[in-house]
Amino acid sequence: MKAEPKNFPQSGASSAGVGMWYLTGILGGLKITLTHLLRNLFFKKKRITLNYPEEKYTYSPRFKGNHVLTVKKDGSLRCTACMLCATACPAECITIVAAEHDDPRVEKYPIKYEIDMLRCVFCGFCEEACPVDAIRMGPEWQTPDLADGNFIYDIKRLAYRPQLKGGVLSVVDDEERHQAGI
Amino acid sequence: MKETKVLTEHYDKEEYRFLEGYQKWGGYSMLRKALKMKPGDIVEMVKASGLRGRGGAGFPTGVKWGFLPKNGEPRYLLCNADEGEPGTFKDRLIMERAPHQLIEGMLIAAYAIESHKSYIYVRGEYNYPIRVLEKALEEAYQAGLLGRNILGSGFHHDMDIYRGAGAYICGEETGLISSLEGYKGQPKLKPPFPAVQGYLKKPTIVNNVETLAAVVIILRDGPEGYRKYGTEKSPGTKIFSLSGNVLRPGNYEVPLGFPLKDLIFGLGGGIPNGHQLKAVIPGGSSAPVLTAEEAMRATLDYECLANMGTMLGSGAVIVLDDRQCMVDCLGNLMHFYHHESCGQCTPCREGTGWLDKITQRILSGQGQPADVDLLFKVADNMKGRTICALSDAAALPVMSFVTKFRDEFDYYVHNGKSKVKGKVLAHAQMYH
Amino acid sequence: MPRCTINGVEIEVKEGTTIIQAMMAHQQRIAHYCWHPGLSVAGVCRLCMVEIEGNPRLQIACNTVITEGMKINNTSEKVKEAVKWGLDFHLINHPLDCPICDQAGECGLQEQYMEFGKYDPEMAEPKQKKRKVVDLGPRVVLDSERCILCSRCVRFTDEVSKSYELGIFNRGDRSEIGTHAGKTLDNKYSLNTVDICPVGALTSRDFRFRQRVWYLKDQNTICNGCSTGCHIKVYFNKEGFFRVKPVYNAEVNGYWMCDEGRDIYRFANKENRWQQGWYRVDGNIVELKPAELAQKIQSLVTSQSAFVVTGQFTCEELDRAIGMFVKKVGASNVFHWQNEPERWNDFDGILLRGDRNPNTRGLLEVFQKLQINTHWDQLIQKLQQGMIETLIVAAPEGVTWYPDFKEKLSIFSKAKNLIWLQSVKRKEVEELPHKSLYVIPLKSYVEKNGTFINYAGLRQSFKAVTTVLHETLTLDQALGLMLGSWEGLIPVTQNASGVTANAMTLVETERPKDRVLNETRKRNEFIFQRGRL
Repeated sequence: MKAEPKNFPQSGASSAGVGMWYLTGILGGLKITLTHLLRNLFFKKKRITLNYPEEKYTYSPRFKGNHVLTVKKDGSLRCTACMLCATACPAECITIVAAEHDDPRVEKYPIKYEIDMLRCVFCGFCEEACPVDAIRMGPEWQTPDLADGNFIYDIKRLAYRPQLKGGVLSVVDDEERHQAGI
Repeated sequence: MKETKVLTEHYDKEEYRFLEGYQKWGGYSMLRKALKMKPGDIVEMVKASGLRGRGGAGFPTGVKWGFLPKNGEPRYLLCNADEGEPGTFKDRLIMERAPHQLIEGMLIAAYAIESHKSYIYVRGEYNYPIRVLEKALEEAYQAGLLGRNILGSGFHHDMDIYRGAGAYICGEETGLISSLEGYKGQPKLKPPFPAVQGYLKKPTIVNNVETLAAVVIILRDGPEGYRKYGTEKSPGTKIFSLSGNVLRPGNYEVPLGFPLKDLIFGLGGGIPNGHQLKAVIPGGSSAPVLTAEEAMRATLDYECLANMGTMLGSGAVIVLDDRQCMVDCLGNLMHFYHHESCGQCTPCREGTGWLDKITQRILSGQGQPADVDLLFKVADNMKGRTICALSDAAALPVMSFVTKFRDEFDYYVHNGKSKVKGKVLAHAQMYH
Repeated sequence: MPRCTINGVEIEVKEGTTIIQAMMAHQQRIAHYCWHPGLSVAGVCRLCMVEIEGNPRLQIACNTVITEGMKINNTSEKVKEAVKWGLDFHLINHPLDCPICDQAGECGLQEQYMEFGKYDPEMAEPKQKKRKVVDLGPRVVLDSERCILCSRCVRFTDEVSKSYELGIFNRGDRSEIGTHAGKTLDNKYSLNTVDICPVGALTSRDFRFRQRVWYLKDQNTICNGCSTGCHIKVYFNKEGFFRVKPVYNAEVNGYWMCDEGRDIYRFANKENRWQQGWYRVDGNIVELKPAELAQKIQSLVTSQSAFVVTGQFTCEELDRAIGMFVKKVGASNVFHWQNEPERWNDFDGILLRGDRNPNTRGLLEVFQKLQINTHWDQLIQKLQQGMIETLIVAAPEGVTWYPDFKEKLSIFSKAKNLIWLQSVKRKEVEELPHKSLYVIPLKSYVEKNGTFINYAGLRQSFKAVTTVLHETLTLDQALGLMLGSWEGLIPVTQNASGVTANAMTLVETERPKDRVLNETRKRNEFIFQRGRL
């Protein structure tokens, strides 16, 4: 290496001679690396990184991850199939097929509710559009899968997946609403 | 202080209820006289007498008769005996005590407007008056006073009684016609007015019982004789139904222009137990309320009461003393109008229900300070927006109660209990 | 001719015109519910309030006849306040179930509230509870809570259908619409009540919950359900057709249409149609593009062929197709398949006619022009004598109105080769054990332009609404390809070589741009912009 480091500033009036100017920098860098190494080895609590995928980061409850369909007290879907989420969805990833319910007070409910997770942009418009708190964006986000067909989530997966432990209760209660006459 | 008994002169006599007794006291002589006159002359006579409808609106009767189109169509005369206004019980008196007076008046009116068929639409609950009327009609038919060729004059007329089913709204002229036609008792759109297109789409005149009975008096005394009593614009005498917190409630016949004070404290005997007068509803429940001070000034005629922002209505004077909670009274009235709205026009259908719900909520102690203004606003927007006057009838009391007794309403919403009675008066369920 | 001033604009109206009619005719905005131009005046919603100079009380525009010199105004503060409160009165007992209400998006209450509403509800009381999801009849469902008691439906059954099924029961705010004892709303015009209902109280059982209305597009066309030819609007999106509603046409149908006509959209939907042409070889079905199949069977059409047509095609199609056939084969081999001709002059007094073909007049005109005067018996005779080798049948689209369909099918199958042209899929045809059967799917009437001539001789042209199946042919295209004389009918692009390729091209060039996708894109742009705000 004969390249003369003309453009670099000389590291002071070092007596170590020309060509050794970079040593301090390297040592400084090594020191940082070593500190991190040692800290990660011996002070586990101070680690910044996680041992992904064994360890996972917990986001705030307001994180907008995978969708959750909420349920009523009796465990049935809260969704009324009004299709406002599908209307608001900019990615057009929500497909709903509505049907008539036997109970006249429920009247309309979805027999098919599918979200194409690969199309979803996680904007949260569906959550905002929902008049009855039937869809929420949950905390989950790492949901890899093997086939693209598996990314179309159906009712079973959106409302009753094992992680939800029987379903998330909606804040809108039909019984109360009917009594209040809304 | 005495009543001026013109119409009710012989009402105290038991025999006056029957044809024989009625004729003994000069009954049906006016019919004989009328049948010799020209129909047009009778109309002119009634016009000249200035007789105003006694049912509530106070429209000049002669003018109403003059509206009939002269196109040769059959005409109908309907007698409105569906006395539903809370506080009113004067028509009942006439029907019970002098059914023949009513029949005679109707015959004269029918002859004047050249009608050959008339109906008396009686309120369904009036069992006894209906029986008396039925008997009287039977007598009249047997005596040849009804049917073909009445008293040899060549005029024929049939009369029937129609029994209502107890709806307040059927006391409204067009509602009465709908009910009589067999439809749901709902007022009809005007125009066309009943005088042009009424019962069965034929020209129809609807008059109150007292109005028709008064026609007999006009014929007897002539327009000038009739105008002897009353004021220039409200001539004649009228029966007032006095009720409420007075010593002697009842029907009193006095000339129009009679001071309200004299009616309550003179004829009515004043307020019992030394209580103070608080308010007077001068013309049936739909008339705006008068405070005690206003009531002392008021005279019972159409103009004076109209100037005071209320109305003479059907002449039902309801007296309230200082034991009464005005919020409670309004709650009672609102429940009535909520129950009786026919449900045709939206402001009335929804508004009466809304007013009822607000007042009942205030009464139960759950009122909000804004509710008092809301009552006024809702009533203000119901007024004058519907086909018939029921929404006005519901709105006017609200507006007058809230303006004139605001302190009681404010006290109730702020303290959750009545200012007068000192407790919660939640009794809404009682009426359901 | 009285003259009046409405909102400062001086207009002249006919004697007896009401204010609301004049305002509607002059594009003035006025709130209203109970007034419907095709029904009598009820005057119960109290929304069409106007201020008339010299009258202290506000008047309703629907029941006030204009008189000379009247000065009318509905933009003053007084009127605005009245309308605001009027709307609020309508809404205090109206449930807030717009999300599940089928009317949302085309609801009178929503629209008028946006324009005239108070935006400051003060109602805090419990709402009146009434019946929900009541079956009024086979086609109509009632939700009493949503009902604003405008009485339009009651007036419709009293005045138009004259079936007197509906009434308003109870009174005050407990009033409810219902059917009279022992009656159901099952007249032939019952779905009109759903159309005129300004809110979602009456909904169609058929359309209920199938689509939100804002996902649908509509286009006007002519009903092909009978020879009346009502002016209609079909609602569709990329998933197919969903419903049919009448459009006002004073000369034909007024404001109404019959319930049977509302079923016509089904015939145009994919699931009821053959997607491809097909024929059988050794019992196996071979599918082929319709145009290819039509050309493949050119050799079958000889002078021994016959052509059976129905009055279910447009004048243009019939004219060209029959014209080509007559030129090639002869006028004596064209036959008119008449369904129940003895009932053709039936009329139910309102709209529906016995002749269930939309264009019988048009077909007869073509027959007259080409001097075709054959009789159905001649066809049967010829078939029995074996004089007909190839029979081309232009089968009807509205098969439900052909009770003789099966019977006729067995007659046709006597021919050696049967070429079946039809737009709807029929099981009877698929099950036909005929050895030489060629089925070519046609375009449905909503997919083509054309003209129908109704029973009274009124020519009504209509445009294609949309294309459901791109490769299907019109009757004249199919005939043209079969007869080898289709040139000149359809423009052919140059990039094709050979006849088959040309035929393919003609179908390709007809493919319209995907409008649905474009519109969706636009819709999303709008949403994005709204999100940004």
